[in-house]
Amino acid sequence: MMKDLERLTFRKGDAVAIGAVILAAIALLIFFLVSAGNGQAHTVRIYRNGEVIREMPLGENGEYLVTGTYENLVEIRDGRAAITRSSCPGEDCVHSGWISQPGRSIVCLPNRVEVRIEGSTADDEVDAVIR
Amino acid sequence: MKTKDLTIMAILTALAMVLGWVERMIPLELLIPLPGVKLGLANTVTMFSLYWLNLPATMLILTARCLLGGLFSGNVTALAFSLTGGVISMLVMAAAKRSRHLSVWGVSVLGAAGHNCGQILIAMILMHSGAVLGYLPYLLLIGTACGCATAAVTAGVLRIARPS
Repeated sequence: MMKDLERLTFRKGDAVAIGAVILAAIALLIFFLVSAGNGQAHTVRIYRNGEVIREMPLGENGEYLVTGTYENLVEIRDGRAAITRSSCPGEDCVHSGWISQPGRSIVCLPNRVEVRIEGSTADDEVDAVIR
Repeated sequence: MKTKDLTIMAILTALAMVLGWVERMIPLELLIPLPGVKLGLANTVTMFSLYWLNLPATMLILTARCLLGGLFSGNVTALAFSLTGGVISMLVMAAAKRSRHLSVWGVSVLGAAGHNCGQILIAMILMHSGAVLGYLPYLLLIGTACGCATAAVTAGVLRIARPS
């Protein structure tokens, strides 16, 4: 036990460990930013328990009340989406604020709700219209 | 089990619960609006116990703290998160502590990273979705900072509290 108690000051190994965690975080961050895609954000999809319960166009103002264990009010204003009111404890989802970029999402863990902005992908875009 | 050890464990459990309560009064989530962001003050108790007592005693303190905390708050989701995060973090720290190259600093930061990974894992299971994985890099970075803060506290306490 005394041996352990001598290891209280910063060592080289600590720098390696901390550096590794930070590097892993940055690598993940870059990976997610790259894979998020750069398509045009156009749909807001609301998931509960991993299932889509509602889809709304990002271009139109509107709101939707998610019910469940708790209630989340999803609002869409001026091309941005947010959970503006929630009865969940902590209200992290409300504090998350407004999102507008494709791939971004707001999560309410207590209610198992996710609000995600979907970008247009190649297969749901119309290539050409022939008249 | 010696009475002295039992008493120390009881005091540490009470201390961890008070620290958890104090932590809820610090509105860190207003500064960094991500679910699951916290200082991890109660983790100083887990670390102290790992260095001062041993792994089984720490496991008991941690379980008692999480169960009592869940009982008081009545929040089952929070209980699942605190217990999983706490146990994974403790196991990572116990393993990291065995390395001669790591001091409390490295042990604490790795424990925080383990806690973050555990939280995300539970969130992915609860949400039936991998979307929360996107929070992991942010949590890891904040966790590193918080891990250093708790390491400083633990190192300070261990320095003062020399075994008699």
